[in-house]
Amino acid sequence: MFIEYTWLIPAIPLVMFVLIGLFSRGEKNYGGAFAVLGALATLVISALVAYEFLTGDAYTTVGYVTESVKWFSIGGFEITLGYYVDGLTCLMLIFSTLISLLIFIYSLGYMDDQGKRKKRYYAEISLFLAGMTGLVISNNYLMMFVFWEVMGLCSYLLIGFWSFKHPEGDEASDKAASAAKKAFIVTRLGDASLMAGLFVLLYAFNTLDFVTLFDASIIETIDKNLLVIGTLLLFGGAIGKSAQFPLQDWLPDAMAGPTTVSALIHAATMVKAGVYLVARSFPLFTQSMEVMLVVGLIGGITAILAASMALVNDNIKQVLAFSTISQLGYMFMALGAGGYMFALGIAENDTALVALGALGYTAGVFHMFNHAFFKAQLFLGSGSVIHSTGTEDMREMGGLRHKMKSTSTTMLIGSLSIAGFPFFSGFWSKDLVLASVLDAGAYGPEGYVFAIVWIMGIITVFMTAFYMFRMWYMTFGGPEGPKTETCHGESPKSMTIPLWVLAIFAFASGFLLLFGLDGMITIDSNFLVGTLAGEGAIYWLEHMFLNPYTYLSIVLALGGIYIAYLMYGKFAANPGRFNREGTSWLYNALEKRWWFPQFYNWLSWTFGYGVGKAVNSFDKHVVDGAVNGVASVIVGSGEVGKRAQTGNVGNYTSVIMIGMAVIGATILLLAHFLGGM
Amino acid sequence: MIPIEFFLMFAAILFVIGIYGIMTKNNAIVVLMCIEMVLNAANMNLVTFAAYNGAIMGQVFVLFTVAVAACEVAVGIAIMLNVYKVKKTTVIDDLTELRW
Repeated sequence: MFIEYTWLIPAIPLVMFVLIGLFSRGEKNYGGAFAVLGALATLVISALVAYEFLTGDAYTTVGYVTESVKWFSIGGFEITLGYYVDGLTCLMLIFSTLISLLIFIYSLGYMDDQGKRKKRYYAEISLFLAGMTGLVISNNYLMMFVFWEVMGLCSYLLIGFWSFKHPEGDEASDKAASAAKKAFIVTRLGDASLMAGLFVLLYAFNTLDFVTLFDASIIETIDKNLLVIGTLLLFGGAIGKSAQFPLQDWLPDAMAGPTTVSALIHAATMVKAGVYLVARSFPLFTQSMEVMLVVGLIGGITAILAASMALVNDNIKQVLAFSTISQLGYMFMALGAGGYMFALGIAENDTALVALGALGYTAGVFHMFNHAFFKAQLFLGSGSVIHSTGTEDMREMGGLRHKMKSTSTTMLIGSLSIAGFPFFSGFWSKDLVLASVLDAGAYGPEGYVFAIVWIMGIITVFMTAFYMFRMWYMTFGGPEGPKTETCHGESPKSMTIPLWVLAIFAFASGFLLLFGLDGMITIDSNFLVGTLAGEGAIYWLEHMFLNPYTYLSIVLALGGIYIAYLMYGKFAANPGRFNREGTSWLYNALEKRWWFPQFYNWLSWTFGYGVGKAVNSFDKHVVDGAVNGVASVIVGSGEVGKRAQTGNVGNYTSVIMIGMAVIGATILLLAHFLGGM
Repeated sequence: MIPIEFFLMFAAILFVIGIYGIMTKNNAIVVLMCIEMVLNAANMNLVTFAAYNGAIMGQVFVLFTVAVAACEVAVGIAIMLNVYKVKKTTVIDDLTELRW
């Protein structure tokens, strides 16, 4: 009943984009109300679709509902346009539209002083939402790729929102422009890889429809090597979009955009698309253990690397950006570990192992769900702080907890959640992730890789707790900083209400696990990921609390929080003692983001610029030379040929008569020799 | 009855004289007259074949040709008149600016 209208979900924000972009003039909000209404309508339809799907028959039988119309065909390849709704789609739709709605409402307050440029802002965030929801409901990879690119465009436009006129001056606007370019170009690398992956899949399957691609009996007939190449290339796309190692560096720079945009990119859209891609392609990825090893390893490296960089950063938004990258690493870790066990289980015909693999998948997707809430909360909270103090540098803040009660309390909830404090949402999913990775470490010849990944993950738990509370204490705790004294106090209601709503979710969304989340995330009946039934609260509580490693991660998280409190809350320990007042090489490495930006620059200046120069000279000399050469040959021959034009009527007549005589003589000769006449 | 070759020879001679005039004469008026001769040579052939084949259409066609030729001469002379106004000459060798 409602599922037939799934196509409306991306269509409504798209219409809003057009309406706001073309027609909003002079109203007070420049289309803000339209953007909020569009997001609200999208949320309502998403909720109805999810409700109908989860209570319907298709959910328990085939596991998905799909419908499509023909789009176009190239040769034998038929490309369709349609929707594909399953448990993962429902989950993604609900959290991305809900968070987008809250961010849009928050924007009404946050972007209030932007004047006419708000029109552009609201149009672009509506398009962003359309991109994300369209990506989620797509029924084939090509349609998904189109929306994937729409999001790439929107992130470019929104990160560079202040590239013309930044409230902090020209230098900041230049930074915004180059950050936008960096985001676009770096993710483009991933997109190229994704596109190559699509070509491989199209070649292998002759179609890009999910229904065919995820059919176990069809997958069996496909060349395994082709699948490995295809899925690795797809994962390359996810690396770019989700800012994984080694393409992680664009995300911290992307903080140059408005904070609401950061929240949108980090929580509801954009970076979640990479995780979604891997989760969606799970039936293909699980065909090979090696691919899953790569996914898990990349996730582990990213998690620990990004967390280490967050330890020393003084920019409130960049700390959050690094934490996003690190949390995304957790998601890929879990998907990798789950897929590894899944693939191993299929290969060895071991159903228990397949069930463990499904658990890893659930953990990864569940962490994405929880992360969306607490990260949206944290970003909007930092936005509230920035709005009030006018700076992003945490060293100038401090003591804000008295002046901004709502913001500091909600930020505390978000920080506890991301740090994995027991019973907050981050705790449930993070420990599920770590448990899955540890399980994977025990199986198969390459399992030890996951044991290493687990160690990375468990260290990251400690670091996460430390840097989040370092941020909280530097911002809200301690004595009042210079900017705290001049701050505007608490933000308006349109900003604090979304903060509270998100804080409630950041605390409580983890309890979804206890009420049958496992049943919610399924792929389809061919590839049963999840048990459909839902295991019930007792099962999960036992699973979590009978595992000794859960207590290890709790202790580490509490330890991180305590050390942060000692250093930045109570000032009992001087952080300068640990980095030799900022002179140790490790501190420098972290400060310089492990030299990744320098490495990128070096790479692009030596290779990119060299290639660019070579291509330029090829273009100048070979391509242009060929074109100009042809032209000058024609001009030259014209110069010679025009001498034949004397302008004298007599000459022309002579030539015509000679020609006629020649033709006549030829005809006569032909007639003579060939007979006839 | 006069044989057909006589008429055809007459038309051919007329044609060749006209062509010779176009190629050699330097006066635009004379060239126009020569063009008329070439045209009339063609008319001669049309009339001849029409008479010998008993097809009246050929002779009717010649009437049209004569009318068109009259118009053509009118246009030609008008052009030459204007050229003379501008250039003060009708010598063809001097009228070659429009070639490139």
